[in-house]
Amino acid sequence: MSEVRFHGRGGQGVVTTSKILANAFARTGQFGASFPMFGFERRGAPVTAFGRFSDKPVREKTQIYNPDILVVLDPSQRNSEAVFQGLRPGGMMLLNDSDKALNISNGNLKKLAIIDANKIAQEEIGLAIPNTVIVGAFARMSGLLDIEPCCDALQDYFSGKKLSANIVCAKRGFEEVELFDL
Amino acid sequence: MIEKKKGKMTKVMDYLKHEDPFSKGVAFCPGCGLELLIRFIPQVLGNDIVITGTPSCSAPVLLGQNSQSWHKLSYFGTLMTGAAANATGLARYYRKAGIENTVVCFNGDGTAADIGFGNLSGAAERNEPFIYICYDNEGYMNTGIQKSGTTPFGATTTTTPFGSASKGKNLRRMNLALKMAMHKIPYAATATLSDLEDLAKKLLKAKEAKKRGFAFIHVFAPCPTGWGVAPENTIEVCRRAVKTNYFPLWEAENGKIKMTRTVRKPKPVSTYTKIIKKFNHLNEADLQILQDDVDYEYCILGGLSVLEAECQLPVSAED
Amino acid sequence: MNTKVKEKSQIKVITGNAAAAIAAKLVRPDVVAAYPITPQTEIIEQISKFHANGEMDCELITVEGENSAMNAVMAASLAGGRVFTATSSWGLAFMYDAVLATAGARAPVVMVNVNRETPGIIAVSSGQQDMISTRDAGWIFLIAENCQEVMDLVLQAYRLAEDYDIQVPVMVHYDGFYLSYLSEVVDVPFQEDVDRFLSVLKDQPERIKLVPGGKLGCGSHGILKGYLELRHKHLSAMERAKAKIDQIDKEFQEIFNRSYSGQIEEYRMDDADVVLVGSGSMCGTIKTVIDEKRQAGVKVGLVKIRMYRPFPGEAMVGALKGKKAIGVVDRSLCFGFKGGPMYTELKAFETQLDGSKMISFIDGIANTDITKANVGQMIDSTCDLAAGKDVREVTWVSYPEAQEDGGL
Repeated sequence: MSEVRFHGRGGQGVVTTSKILANAFARTGQFGASFPMFGFERRGAPVTAFGRFSDKPVREKTQIYNPDILVVLDPSQRNSEAVFQGLRPGGMMLLNDSDKALNISNGNLKKLAIIDANKIAQEEIGLAIPNTVIVGAFARMSGLLDIEPCCDALQDYFSGKKLSANIVCAKRGFEEVELFDL
Repeated sequence: MIEKKKGKMTKVMDYLKHEDPFSKGVAFCPGCGLELLIRFIPQVLGNDIVITGTPSCSAPVLLGQNSQSWHKLSYFGTLMTGAAANATGLARYYRKAGIENTVVCFNGDGTAADIGFGNLSGAAERNEPFIYICYDNEGYMNTGIQKSGTTPFGATTTTTPFGSASKGKNLRRMNLALKMAMHKIPYAATATLSDLEDLAKKLLKAKEAKKRGFAFIHVFAPCPTGWGVAPENTIEVCRRAVKTNYFPLWEAENGKIKMTRTVRKPKPVSTYTKIIKKFNHLNEADLQILQDDVDYEYCILGGLSVLEAECQLPVSAED
Repeated sequence: MNTKVKEKSQIKVITGNAAAAIAAKLVRPDVVAAYPITPQTEIIEQISKFHANGEMDCELITVEGENSAMNAVMAASLAGGRVFTATSSWGLAFMYDAVLATAGARAPVVMVNVNRETPGIIAVSSGQQDMISTRDAGWIFLIAENCQEVMDLVLQAYRLAEDYDIQVPVMVHYDGFYLSYLSEVVDVPFQEDVDRFLSVLKDQPERIKLVPGGKLGCGSHGILKGYLELRHKHLSAMERAKAKIDQIDKEFQEIFNRSYSGQIEEYRMDDADVVLVGSGSMCGTIKTVIDEKRQAGVKVGLVKIRMYRPFPGEAMVGALKGKKAIGVVDRSLCFGFKGGPMYTELKAFETQLDGSKMISFIDGIANTDITKANVGQMIDSTCDLAAGKDVREVTWVSYPEAQEDGGL
């Protein structure tokens, strides 16, 4: 089972990112569970969400304290101590940022992936909502998923032109994400 | 003698097309206005109404005990807090199931104006398809005569007693019927027991209106026991309430407010209060406060009836 | 929308709230009352959407408060309708008089209550105190562990509430936040299977209904003997509900290929020496910890309370009798008693347990997470109790300061 913690801000689609991924895992016959950290949700406020992805049913109903993977949608949190809290040794991090500098240091972080998801989203859907780009990038970085189930999963959240634009976002995320071993 | 009066006689009997479903002797106080009203409604609307009522003076008769009952109507004893919501649930289910129905939500002023006003207002806002009748005896009579929102200025009740620091109720009453008319419902009206033909017509209009949504009738129903009125004077109290404009008779059909009985030369309110003990302690200055309140309400009503004659309520999307 | 089509169902990734809403749609209710409150709101939003799209042919009453929600569905139910509504915490409190009256009238209402705390308005947090504060209202209470069980329990609730031999309202509870907002894999049954599952009710005698011209009075219990008769019949129906839920669960399995074993679920209990007793979403976490502890040789099991009212005393005794030690985990408080409510109630059966020792754990209130570490600590303490060590009767797991607080 992979335990993933998502960090972002209200309006970025943080919770939706984790839901879409859970959906994509289910499409491959696996299991996914996603839920937000509880609190008042407001546009702009920091948001944390959790995802558990596994080939067996997910039974735990607790928050995630020792994630295997971090997904950071908000660039300003790239070096936040809170983000790295509890990261397991050999951990991965997916970062949405235009700044590709590798000045991120954490003893347990072994793999880093960076993508300028805001820019891609702006180009494809006209809004800097990075979540579907992140879904594609996550599939590539984690190696846990192909891009197809991710694109299929988007059907449950979008329709029409928005769906096709977001599918492009996910595919570009998958293709354009840059991977670094630390 | 009989011959002479015939021309003046009300045609109310023509409206009583159905059986009186109540037992001949019931557990109301002598002269109770409520009893006349509750017997009258099913005789006009039919015995196939479903009537709901709350803990109140109506409850001992409407509710029955164990396997025994005072009447033959379908009846649901509801909580005061949610009376209109209960009637909503019934009317909506009957509509869904295609069951022809007339649901009459029958409550005192304590339920209608006070504790159950929120859901009364909600049901009116949603234009629920049933008839809500408030019998207004100006207080909580069943629990032993306490003040309600419709208790008028100066009236003594057990929670607004007269004393060196109190005039009785030191506040003015609310105008429930006008508030309900402001909900833009198909039908709102006032009525009382001294003008039964008017009441019968209004009941039938309400029954017709509930096909389009919410119908509300506010019936002024004096309580001889609670007010200090001789049992034989109940109807006279109603008559004087109308003649002093203390309780004007009007209706609002699709938002159009219109007087159903215009009093050419209204009598001073003291002609009404003097046969009611709960006002006995009021001096002239106190009575003037009550008179001013009556005049104020009537003035507003008159103004609205002029205004609303010109302002047609838009046809609702559901029509 | 279909993620994957299996023979019996459609796989979806949805929240507990969405599962409740879809279940409410599948039972084809006549009347639904809707009023928002966190963390339940998503249910009535989804139902409103189904209704607006023509997918749900019901009378949808967008009431002005929860009190009216319960009053409206109570009346519609007495008139003969199948009804649904949902609430949480303060909403449940605001409809409390109607909750009591609905039970008194034996109206077969089904309501979802998404558990939330109630000590003050900003207690927008997890906990079962709302449920506990309503436990003696005369409703049947069912508690779900995960989103799938939310769906399945709502379906089962209608079979129970509307059964001719029961006719008691049913509240389906699940943890706010932990399940209400959790998206996970749920098998959504096909409509025709749900129709078949519920069709049993159509073959039963028709219940008494309040209809125009029907000369039926309802809403009163009368006094003295008439009252006692109705109350005793209500209590007897509650007793019958125990075997009934076991039976309904078996029939559910035949159609949907899933079973929860009725009143309680036993997990790795056969050879267990020590047991945790819990309810709701915590049970998933407890099961994973039990598996880990088992690998380390600790013989621990779980009894999950699925039916909390009526209290499944006989089933609990059957499962727990002779176990060395029992730790009961409560997500709420029982004022006036030191231990949690479920612990306190289970204590009433202590003499039938052949010497099993019992302790109480309080955890998971106010979004304190019932973590795997916390569960591990509870199991360790219960093992200590089994080994005859001196263990505190009541432990507030996420609030160790409680030990210094006088009285407990």
